[in-house]
Amino acid sequence: MLRYIAYRSLLAVFLVWIVVTLVFLMLHLVPGDPAELLLSQGSTAADPQAVANLRERLGLDDPLWLQYAHHIGGLLTGDLGTSFRDGASVTGQIVQRLPRTLEVIVAAALIAAALGVPAGTLAAVRSGGWIDTLISFLSSVALSTPVFVVGSVVILVFAQELRLVPAGGYVPFAVDPARHLLLLMLPAGTVALALWAVIARMTRASVLDVLERDYVRTARAKGLSRVKILRRHVVRNAMIPVLTVLGLEMGTLIGGTVLVEFVFNWPGLSGYLVSAVDARDYPEVVGIVMVISILFVFLNLVVDIVSAVLDPRISLTR
Amino acid sequence: MTETPLVEADRLSRNFPMRSGLFGRSRDVFAVREVSLTVARGEAVGVVGESGCGKSTLGRMVLGLEAPSAGTIRFEGRDLSGVSGAERRALSRRMQMVFQDPFGSLDPRRSVGAQIADGLRVHHIVPKAGIETEVARLIDVVGLQKSAAKRRPHEFSGGQRQRIAVARALATRPDFIVADEPVSALDVSIQAQVVNLLADLRRDLGLAMLFIAHDLHVVRHLSTRAVVMYLGRIVEEGPSDKVFGAPAHPYTRALMAATPSITARKVDEGHVLAGEMPSPADPPSGCAFRTRCPIASPECAAAVPDLSPFEPGWNVRCIKAGPAHPTGAQP
Amino acid sequence: MRKLILPVSIIAVILALVLLAPILPLADVRAMDIPHRFAGPSLQHWLGQDEFGRDVLTRLIFGARASLSIAIGSALAAALIGATLGLLGGYFRGLVELVTVRAAEVVLCLPPLLLALLVVTILGAGFWPLILALTLLYTPNYARVVYAATLQVRGLDYVTAQRALGTHPLTIVLRTLLPNVLPPLVVQISLVIASAIVIESGLSFLGLGVVPPTPSWGLMIRSARGAMEQAPMLLVWPSLALAGTILTFNLLCDRLQSVLDPRTVPVGGAIWLRRRGATSPRPSSREARVPRAAGPAGAGAVTDRAATDRSGETKPADLLAIEGLTVALDRPGGVGSGMELVRGVSLALRPGETLALVGESGSGKTLTSLAVTGLLPDVLAVTAGTAAYVRRDGTALDLLAEDEDGHRRLRGDEISMVFQDASAALNPVHRIGDQLAEGILAHRAIGRAEAANEAVALLKRVGIPDPERRARAYPHELSGGQRQRAMIAIAVANRPKLLLADEPTTALDPTIQAQILALIADLKRDNPDMGVVFVTHNLAVVAEIADRVAVMYAGELVEEGPVAEVFARPRHPYTAALIGSVPEGGAERLVAIPGTVPAPGQMPPGCRFAPRCDHAEAICRESEPAEFVPAPGRRTRCLRYEEVT
Repeated sequence: MLRYIAYRSLLAVFLVWIVVTLVFLMLHLVPGDPAELLLSQGSTAADPQAVANLRERLGLDDPLWLQYAHHIGGLLTGDLGTSFRDGASVTGQIVQRLPRTLEVIVAAALIAAALGVPAGTLAAVRSGGWIDTLISFLSSVALSTPVFVVGSVVILVFAQELRLVPAGGYVPFAVDPARHLLLLMLPAGTVALALWAVIARMTRASVLDVLERDYVRTARAKGLSRVKILRRHVVRNAMIPVLTVLGLEMGTLIGGTVLVEFVFNWPGLSGYLVSAVDARDYPEVVGIVMVISILFVFLNLVVDIVSAVLDPRISLTR
Repeated sequence: MTETPLVEADRLSRNFPMRSGLFGRSRDVFAVREVSLTVARGEAVGVVGESGCGKSTLGRMVLGLEAPSAGTIRFEGRDLSGVSGAERRALSRRMQMVFQDPFGSLDPRRSVGAQIADGLRVHHIVPKAGIETEVARLIDVVGLQKSAAKRRPHEFSGGQRQRIAVARALATRPDFIVADEPVSALDVSIQAQVVNLLADLRRDLGLAMLFIAHDLHVVRHLSTRAVVMYLGRIVEEGPSDKVFGAPAHPYTRALMAATPSITARKVDEGHVLAGEMPSPADPPSGCAFRTRCPIASPECAAAVPDLSPFEPGWNVRCIKAGPAHPTGAQP
Repeated sequence: MRKLILPVSIIAVILALVLLAPILPLADVRAMDIPHRFAGPSLQHWLGQDEFGRDVLTRLIFGARASLSIAIGSALAAALIGATLGLLGGYFRGLVELVTVRAAEVVLCLPPLLLALLVVTILGAGFWPLILALTLLYTPNYARVVYAATLQVRGLDYVTAQRALGTHPLTIVLRTLLPNVLPPLVVQISLVIASAIVIESGLSFLGLGVVPPTPSWGLMIRSARGAMEQAPMLLVWPSLALAGTILTFNLLCDRLQSVLDPRTVPVGGAIWLRRRGATSPRPSSREARVPRAAGPAGAGAVTDRAATDRSGETKPADLLAIEGLTVALDRPGGVGSGMELVRGVSLALRPGETLALVGESGSGKTLTSLAVTGLLPDVLAVTAGTAAYVRRDGTALDLLAEDEDGHRRLRGDEISMVFQDASAALNPVHRIGDQLAEGILAHRAIGRAEAANEAVALLKRVGIPDPERRARAYPHELSGGQRQRAMIAIAVANRPKLLLADEPTTALDPTIQAQILALIADLKRDNPDMGVVFVTHNLAVVAEIADRVAVMYAGELVEEGPVAEVFARPRHPYTAALIGSVPEGGAERLVAIPGTVPAPGQMPPGCRFAPRCDHAEAICRESEPAEFVPAPGRRTRCLRYEEVT
């Protein structure tokens, strides 16, 4: 097991390197002068003086390997450069905002899993019944409605029309824990909806699949009770593919968080990212993208390790 | 007997590098090890052995579907490793294959006729206009209705599919067919249909065959010469009636004793071979069979025994080769 | 295919609206009307006007234009590139795989939305950057899906057969592989279109996608949020349009999946899980005791076999006596409901006896054994018959009338089963010892530690070396033979009275098969009263281990008797042909039974074997033969049994 974790961690480090390199290459692989590209607005050509300044600032006149070395070196020392807009340290901003984003992601994943697994299991065990139909209808709708639509409608209905909740915002936990959690529930619940749908559907399919397996028949042939069979032989085994899907959904979860933070004015990484993209502030965007991508790799690592705990076959075959 | 054999495999080996652990040293795992084999024109050679003995890998290498790690295959005396690309593909007209799984060996999306015609088209066996007639003839040869050509594989039963697969193999008018477990996936009564068909084809068309199976009875029925494999190596080869009549290798004897027979006695627990085939990743030293052999002695661990002549045309890889040893498992 | 009508027609309507938008009598998409900003629905403006007084309906339709052309355009472009990479990588493997699939997968290291944002940062917002970003984003998805499908198809024998035919590799890729990887590809396209719409609208919503004044759903939602108090409906319309379109594509994807790959549609839950304490689903269980097949030519026929078979004998009572067992498809309203897969099977087993149930696939031999233990698949039900069984405590009961709870008390305790494929029948995520112990704990009030010790002892008893260590192993760490031994250990853990073994050695090699057969014989010596029903297709195995044999054909029992007698002188032409088809002895040609087993629902009238039988006469094809008793202790379902040799 430890060997497996060590192996996956090494792989994760490798993936991080790939991500970092990919982000670096993106700017350089696009045909044309990167500086001109970054300054272009539609068809109007950029001001030559501005282009020269930008080349200077980004160090684009250095040889490529040196730029790459700066890029990697900066990341290793935690220095992600300074913003075009205000010269502020990108690292500082990220360190301040990252925990808030993490909070939304973790809360959303927990809510979605806590509600999705029972819903999917219930739908499978009662497949064809009204509960199954209801859950399948709800999950289809949830899956088809983009998070920012859900968020906007939540604000419209619950905040504006019913006036049950605030329309978003942020209060530090230390200042007012209850209000902090209430405000957290808005973005987290919204992101969780789509993930809930994915988990519920996958759990349902997986439980139905496991119910047809020979080992469930063996469990029945042993004379085990229904509850025992369901818990030990059905749900436990059904969780393995659900986890795999959860890993694949991490990207969507992160994307959804970016959008939802924006909808609810949650001061995580996303507002910063959106304004940076809007201003085409390259160092800021690269910094945030790299941090979130590393987070992405890390979340996938966690999912892999949990899968290996659940499924003894994984750690052997690597 | 001095003419060139149709197919000749010379010291064929196939190994896979296997790494143990992340930084472990890589080790070679042999699926097939220094197997030499000849098939003469019109001869039927049977290969038997349990799963993992390398018999299927051997069959695929002989047809060039898998590259040997070492050794050569000669077809009519011509070394196949020197031939590649278009020429190699042209040669494949002469040797064909029949597979085990009648459900996986036919493309589910194309009609039976089209699949039989593939070989005709690739090798221009008959002029374009004659393809339909030729397909009909082939379908007739394997004993199916003419209307079969228009239908898809899923409309047929396992036995019928296996006939279609045989028809496809016959389309290129081959001299040599490798049949890898062609009946083991079929029901008993259907097995007999396909076994009879293969026997008829061999007699009528003079086909040479390499017949791979785990069922001793089927191999004995279909082949003139038998090859017994254990853990990647040939342990015994010779005329079928001799090898199965009075096996000289203790493994062949054990295999015969373990194979149930309808004329048989009740299970004789005393003669059941103990243990299981060792992992090819970690073979025993010396004779690979010694860990399960009822007559093994310390000298068996010393070196891998040679495949040495026991009688003319009958080779055995055992230092104690001989019929029914006093403590052997011969019933 | 009918399933596809709904989503396809909705998509057709949407696409028609989008394509025909310029020629439809719609208001000008950019014409502002500031005085009427936020006006509600009217005759000119069905859905009202937005913050600049523009027509909402027109903007919705033109908004679809942007969203859909970006989504569909990039989905198709990515499909083309990704599928090519996947096919080449999957077929050629090695270096080709590295530069196609693996290279494309690098993109997957970034979360999708972030990758799109990065492209937008570099190239600026707009239509073409979006297409480029989304194509880049989805290419690895396709490459992966197609690669996986290709790998799967590539390993199949029909691809190998093409290689053996000498077909050119590119021809194989295009003609054999491509059609077979199309289903997952098509499903993936519909999935990607839905997902691309989500990303495009999300970017536009953030103000980083489609550039105003081009209408787009994401932009409409964005601007409606600012005017939520004045005109909430402005938010609702584009939200509905967006969610509805995505829902339609998702629906298309689901339906495509179920049409193209029917296996993924599960049959439907587990009835045994639900019917807690429910009554037996079969009202007529105790009525049909007599097999229906009492033919008119029943001169020498005896339908009440109990009278002749064991009359006057003083042997111990039957352990299990099945009478007239019939199993049929039970899908109310479904296709073929009521179709009988097993019909009128009567069997008896004495304590200590080994009965072999032999037949080809589809003969009903496995269903017979499953019916006795109440483990029939959900779609099947026992429709007639009884199975008398006496419990350890002496109470008699009819196994076929028991409900799930009744069976549960017996299963694994008095009646146990060994299944064919031990690697599938053992749960891969639990340790062998635990799987054994839970069977013990289910029926006996002993402690966990004691059960664990007993599990180790059992593993030792069935001949597993180093049982303490093996008890802690997972099934995949054992060899095939050891797994089957463990399976048998589970079955005999509570010293059953009746052991049902369903093809327990079929997947095993001859030397391992011999070991397992010897083990079963050995265990019977431990527990001499244990009755064994051994289901197999292998006649030679029957000869080795069974006392009596029952031959089944097409759902019926055709012959039964002591093994030695039946094999020496079969009294049914099917049995005779089966024995003749075994390639033993020196026969030049084997006896091949012409034709195939009839499918259930297409059973011939009269004797079910008649169409394939050498001895059949007109009468055989007209009426069902009754059971005859050619000799004491033997039965056959053939009119002409005297002529069979």
